[in-house]
Amino acid sequence: MDLSQYAELFLAESREHLGTINQQLLEWERVPESGEPVGGIFRAVHTIKGMAATMGYADVTDLAHRMENLLDILRSGEHEATDQVFELLFQAADALDKVVESSVSGRELDADTSDVLARLDATCQALVPTAKPRPPPVPRSVDPPQAAGKWVRVVIDPSATLKGARAAVVLRRLEQIGQVNTVQPPATVFETEDFDGEFGLRIETSADDEVIEEQIRAAGDIAEVYVGNGAGDRLVERPEARTRHIRVDLRRVDAMMNLVGELVTTKDRLAQLSAGRGDPTLDDVSLKMSHLTTQLQSEILDARMTPVWQVFDRFPRLVRDLSKQLGKVIEFKVEGKEIELDRAILDEIADPLVHLLRNAVDHGIEPAAERVAAGKPPSGHIVLSAVRERATVAIQVSDDGRGIDRAKLLADAKRTGMLDEDVDVLSDELLLRVLSRPGFSTAAAVSNVSGRGVGIDAVASSLRTLGGGLEVLSVPGQGTVFSLRLPITLAIVRALTAEVGEERYLLPVTHVAETVDLSEETTTSLEGEDAMLFRGEMIPLLDLRKVVQLPGEGHGRRPVVVLQIGERRSGLVVDALTGQQEIVVKTFDAPRGTLPIFSGATVLGDGSPALILDTGGLV
Amino acid sequence: MSHSVLVCDDAIFMRTMISDILSQAGYEVVGEAETGLQAVAKYKELKPDLVTMDIVMPDMGGIDAVREIVAHDPDACILMCSAMGQQALVVEAIQAGAKDFVVKPFQPSRVLEAVQRVLG
Repeated sequence: MDLSQYAELFLAESREHLGTINQQLLEWERVPESGEPVGGIFRAVHTIKGMAATMGYADVTDLAHRMENLLDILRSGEHEATDQVFELLFQAADALDKVVESSVSGRELDADTSDVLARLDATCQALVPTAKPRPPPVPRSVDPPQAAGKWVRVVIDPSATLKGARAAVVLRRLEQIGQVNTVQPPATVFETEDFDGEFGLRIETSADDEVIEEQIRAAGDIAEVYVGNGAGDRLVERPEARTRHIRVDLRRVDAMMNLVGELVTTKDRLAQLSAGRGDPTLDDVSLKMSHLTTQLQSEILDARMTPVWQVFDRFPRLVRDLSKQLGKVIEFKVEGKEIELDRAILDEIADPLVHLLRNAVDHGIEPAAERVAAGKPPSGHIVLSAVRERATVAIQVSDDGRGIDRAKLLADAKRTGMLDEDVDVLSDELLLRVLSRPGFSTAAAVSNVSGRGVGIDAVASSLRTLGGGLEVLSVPGQGTVFSLRLPITLAIVRALTAEVGEERYLLPVTHVAETVDLSEETTTSLEGEDAMLFRGEMIPLLDLRKVVQLPGEGHGRRPVVVLQIGERRSGLVVDALTGQQEIVVKTFDAPRGTLPIFSGATVLGDGSPALILDTGGLV
Repeated sequence: MSHSVLVCDDAIFMRTMISDILSQAGYEVVGEAETGLQAVAKYKELKPDLVTMDIVMPDMGGIDAVREIVAHDPDACILMCSAMGQQALVVEAIQAGAKDFVVKPFQPSRVLEAVQRVLG
């Protein structure tokens, strides 16, 4: 059988399990006496081992097997996991990650895993000197070891409460008719709320299959029972028995999105054509087409939505490693893991978040001694949270560290000429401007954790590209909060159509606060620049004609689009606003010489192309 | 002959409700206990066919009471009464020797099904 077609699936699934392993290791390290994580880690390693054996990846199988040996000893609860054991398990998880990647890509393994293998074996020996390490299974054999007895698989009624307790009742009833071995998942999992109600076991008994089944059903709340000699464990390990999923390459979804984009445009043209005909049948078809397209569009958008945990889940490990390296004690919390974002946005914010988290660990949180001296608890806190706010998602990285040193930053900014000498207070708004200045560095000493300086400019510019925004709030001695505001999806946005002269531009509504009319009474000038009084506040005015370098003056009553990012506002004056519509954003390879003020392009209903203004960048 | 039942719960409300459900179904409630200690003492005294046992009670919790009763009578039929979210405790109680459990809030039919399973 040709297995290469399964390699990608193997990789994707292994990565998920590696994520679980890391996450559960962190949890376990935090509460070493808790028995739950080790069960989860064991199962994840075991699943990877089984898959790797099928694929014939001997390196993966071998390493996973030795990890399993150690985990098996540890999950008995008789031996305490020491700091060294945790360190070894973390290293083994990293090594497993590497061998998985290299096995799939067919590359030579660039790291030597023999040290980790040897230490895993040595640790097992040290804990249980009498136990002989089980020999690793021969790759390509997927059948479970043929132990004595019958395989039993049980599915508890999905609507039942306390499924784990129900499973425990089943176990007790079976123990009365025979000897129960190899419970999968291990019975410790029954005590957790995430037990899904499916389990398997081996029972040595003289009772008939019917008697076994009767005994199980008598426990109540049983949906399915399987008794037989087959490899029941494989059935049990089948994940997601109820919701069925397929894995689809993201590029496919992108391609579908693009096609739907074309369809939306075509639908609009059809609507325009039919409107002129006065043909009721054609109108009907056009309307139906419109409904279907909208449905299709929203289905595909939904399919692109991905919960943020897919990216957030690797951060606890990152924070742990960094804080260990820097000798800091940090409690890291993640909130709002289930919030969903467009996959494309999620992929883009991973690096900026790594950046902000590194900063928080390295520059934000003080060493324990300094914290205690300042009357704070010795361990620092960092919280990463995601919150849905209407059509946007706000992601925050907050720490309770020392805060940004404004006095020093102000002095630096003045020295480099970024700010005038007479500025004596650095507001949050100015602070962000100084921080986002390319190449600006706050790091007194360059450390190898967050590198040279803060690099907030990189974060700010990736957010701009996404049509999002960045805000910062910092209180000396109390900490710093960076907020990232993101649109939920990139593919489709609502936009205003603005006209200047003969040209049409699109303004995504993400940053549009409202539109007002420009009037003589409210316009003035502020430090020589045009400005407008808006709700008792002076906001700078920009003329779209000037922005797009169109000659001539606008006439008559011109509308102003008030743009807002966080607390910052500015007004964009246009000749006319001609409506609002959903547009499909096309990625945009700007020809050389294009003004750097566009975030993309789209095709309008009449088939003509139009450019999308980067409104975030105009504020 | 109807089966005899000992009802153990620290809340009068719960004891009354369980007693009503069971007596209306023809079982005979022969005693009530409001602590784990009382439950063990009354079990030895009354030798009921069935015990309903709350998990959280003062003066010895339900799980320890199960252990004591099972140590005294390995065939004791004990039905745990649990709240949602007490998974770990219920598992522990079953490992300690309880035969089954029902989850609050009680539905009479569910309670009676569980009782029949335990006595059956």
